[in-house]
Amino acid sequence: MKQQQEPRRKSFTKEKILPYIMTAPAMAFLLVFTFYPMANLIYLSFFDYNLINPNKRFVGWRNYYELFFVRKDFLNALQNTAVYTGAVVFFVILLALLLALWIRKDSKFNHFVQTCAFTPHLVAMLSCAMIWAWIMDANRYGLFNTVLSFFNLPPLRWLNSSATAMLSVVIVSVWKSIGYYCLIIVSALKAIPAEIYEAAELDNTPRYRLFFRIILPLLSPQLFFLLVTITINSFKVFDTVRVMTEGGPGNATDVISFYIYRYAFRHFRIGYASAAGTVLMVILMLLTAVYFRGLSRRVHYQ
Amino acid sequence: MAQIEFSNVCKYFGETRVIENLNLTIKDGTFTVLLGPSGCGKTTLLRMIAGIGPATSGRIFLDGRDITFTPPGKRGVAMVFQNYAIYPTMTVRGNIEFGLKNNKVPKAERDRLIREVSEVVGLTAFLDRKPSTLSGGQRQRVALARAMVKNPKVFLMDEPLSNLDAKLRAAMRVELIELHRKLKTTFVYVTHDQVEAMAMADTIILMNDGVIQQEGSPAEIYRDPNNIFTAQFLGTPPMNIFSLGERADVQVGFRPEKAGLSYEEPSAFFRRRGTIATREMLGSETLYKIDFPDGISVMVKSLQESFGVDEQVWVSASREDLCFFDEGGQRIRTGLDGLLAVVGGTR
Amino acid sequence: MHSESIWGPKLRRGAARLPGILGKLFVAFIFLFPFYWMVITSFKPYAETIQFPPTLWPQNFTLDAYISIIGKMNLLVYVKNSIIVTVSEIVLQLLVMIPAAYAFARYNFVGKGLMFGMVLVALMIPVQVTFITVYLLMAKWKLLGTLLPQIIPFGTNAFGIFLLRQSFLQIPEEVIESAKLDNASELQTMTQIMLPMAKPTVITICMFSFIGRWNAYFWPLIMTDVERIRPLTIAIERLKDLEYGINWSVLMAGNVLLVAPIVVVFFFASRKIMEAFAYRGVK
Repeated sequence: MKQQQEPRRKSFTKEKILPYIMTAPAMAFLLVFTFYPMANLIYLSFFDYNLINPNKRFVGWRNYYELFFVRKDFLNALQNTAVYTGAVVFFVILLALLLALWIRKDSKFNHFVQTCAFTPHLVAMLSCAMIWAWIMDANRYGLFNTVLSFFNLPPLRWLNSSATAMLSVVIVSVWKSIGYYCLIIVSALKAIPAEIYEAAELDNTPRYRLFFRIILPLLSPQLFFLLVTITINSFKVFDTVRVMTEGGPGNATDVISFYIYRYAFRHFRIGYASAAGTVLMVILMLLTAVYFRGLSRRVHYQ
Repeated sequence: MAQIEFSNVCKYFGETRVIENLNLTIKDGTFTVLLGPSGCGKTTLLRMIAGIGPATSGRIFLDGRDITFTPPGKRGVAMVFQNYAIYPTMTVRGNIEFGLKNNKVPKAERDRLIREVSEVVGLTAFLDRKPSTLSGGQRQRVALARAMVKNPKVFLMDEPLSNLDAKLRAAMRVELIELHRKLKTTFVYVTHDQVEAMAMADTIILMNDGVIQQEGSPAEIYRDPNNIFTAQFLGTPPMNIFSLGERADVQVGFRPEKAGLSYEEPSAFFRRRGTIATREMLGSETLYKIDFPDGISVMVKSLQESFGVDEQVWVSASREDLCFFDEGGQRIRTGLDGLLAVVGGTR
Repeated sequence: MHSESIWGPKLRRGAARLPGILGKLFVAFIFLFPFYWMVITSFKPYAETIQFPPTLWPQNFTLDAYISIIGKMNLLVYVKNSIIVTVSEIVLQLLVMIPAAYAFARYNFVGKGLMFGMVLVALMIPVQVTFITVYLLMAKWKLLGTLLPQIIPFGTNAFGIFLLRQSFLQIPEEVIESAKLDNASELQTMTQIMLPMAKPTVITICMFSFIGRWNAYFWPLIMTDVERIRPLTIAIERLKDLEYGINWSVLMAGNVLLVAPIVVVFFFASRKIMEAFAYRGVK
């Protein structure tokens, strides 16, 4: 009997340890490359840390003070990011919704349109930015300006003018995103049973009422998801700005991510950049919390 | 209150022909059941009346008016869907009210109608609830109320009871029959359940493969089927149908409950000897399967439970209970003398 | 069940549909034309690109831009880097993710809830938050001159673990039990039985990883400061610094090379890919 117990105990322990062995690498990577950096970001934000001189100097809240009260450029970056986000969210949701309603019926042609709209989403943001920078070239031969000249309008400076630079960046992001979000809305529309539309037909429902009283309420979970997701992603925008405008002209398109990057790798002020990064992190966490709160409320209703 | 007519109606889904050149009149005020197996076209016909699945060609008339191109919302018909199709984001009241609002019924009248209808279906306590909080039976009542409140010329129902449990289904069946009796509106009801159809219908229209097999009252269709399909679709178990042996082009049939069993040779018109293969006790009756020596088997439903498996018995049927069918499956009603002679001579 | 006549038979009549069709073609055009413009620009000589009015088709079709990139700028190094990074990433993620997802799906162990919760939280922490510290770590470990900083930090694909765990959870218990009766070890059960059944999910995850790494710009920008480890994205962005002035043909040619693999794959598997992305939206 003793002999029977021993091997069982060995395999029992082995089985107990096994899950930990299996999850260990994943957890290790997460701790080292995700959670530690997050904590370290907050830690570093309280220091004055110049990459060239490896000694850190504790300065308390001074970086934050400088962010908000001494310099104007962080607030400018925040504002730009907010404006950018607002514009992108508005246009993407509006256009994606309209397009989705238009192409929601199953047909080869609609699927073709959907595929075309989706293509920019797969392509590198870098490429989208460069292609559009070319289209929006401020010279006469830039495509947009060429089109303007057909209507006898003067060329615009697009990315070179602080008035239109933000618009240009927004256009690129909206163009890249519509296809993906349209796809999500179309899926949601298709999930509405055909019978509901048929019952509405039998109820003699005019089109606008069908949209506002039936379709829109049924879409609201997805639209909420879109709203929060696009907002969160917009706050992180970097590639477009870096490639198309470098934050300019002037500070017209400086956004938070780019601000952090500049101060970390051009001015080498790690501590200060970390403070900015922490602010971004807090904003993103708040937005995520809003999302989950909204999500749980909706789950309750369904 | 209205009569419905289908005139040379065809329906194609792409290349597939579902219904071809169908002509049908559904009489005003009747409870008409469109019955048949899945894919026979019954729901297609129903949707044509509603206008949500229009015909490929042909015309549909309601109350004498051509409604083939009239939008569904303007036909004066109401429909109860199989899955109810109630608007999930509106309250019960909102659901019932929606069609009325679209038809610009003034608020005072709307409230009155809603109050009346919800009393009839028993939903008064639920008017401010959302559909997700209701049970299946309650949702079905909402669908019904929504249809009733429009005071339609025709009620269309697409297998409305199929998603309910057996007990609820039986109760709702009775309620629907009473509703019809009270309202006297034309009801067009689709089902694949022949028991349901027999119980509820004034007229049954039996379909298969897009073609009407037979049209008539439940009694007519049951007792006097026009073809083999009808004979075997109705009745549990279905009519026994087999060939005579000498006449390969003719088949004869009789219903299991019309046959008799005996140990001694009976004096019935049709009698044949066979062995009991299986015996199922159904409670009030017993169902036997009898194998004949030539390989044919028949089912017999008997009130007598005393027969046992492997016993030799005589199966008998009277002349009036026999049905003859030709090689196309169609019923032979005339010139039966020769056939009867063949049957009478068999053992 | 598909509904046919929403809003009446009017819409079914042929001619009335024309404006709708044209409108949709215009929409498709808006999304496709920039790519078309990119491609034809890459085949134009520089002089033609700055011509006014611009030409819709290269008048002097030339491969100069491509020769320039591949020859002069040693493009293959960057392509090689991108490929190595992408492929290694996928391999690393698979090795890390499969056991983890399997463990989360199949076992109950102390701390499972906490650990899986950490995985979910990690999904929400973006690179903009982590890059500073990771850079410092890579500097400290003297890895900055290698390709590793582009690969290792993404070893855990949190989204992948989430999806794969879900897939594993959907495998019926009976399949696993009959594997046990067939005396399969855990490793065998995981690799020979459950993994093949979750193949579509794995392919989807690999696809997301591939697209993510191939298109990555911000992260390599931070982590690479020597030519030999730069991926294709960085190389192309820097093209405009290398030429005398901005040569759009060359820039567009570079982008064609960056975009082509993705578009080609998309062309062949568009339905599946869009399904995968749509599902991700449902989450």
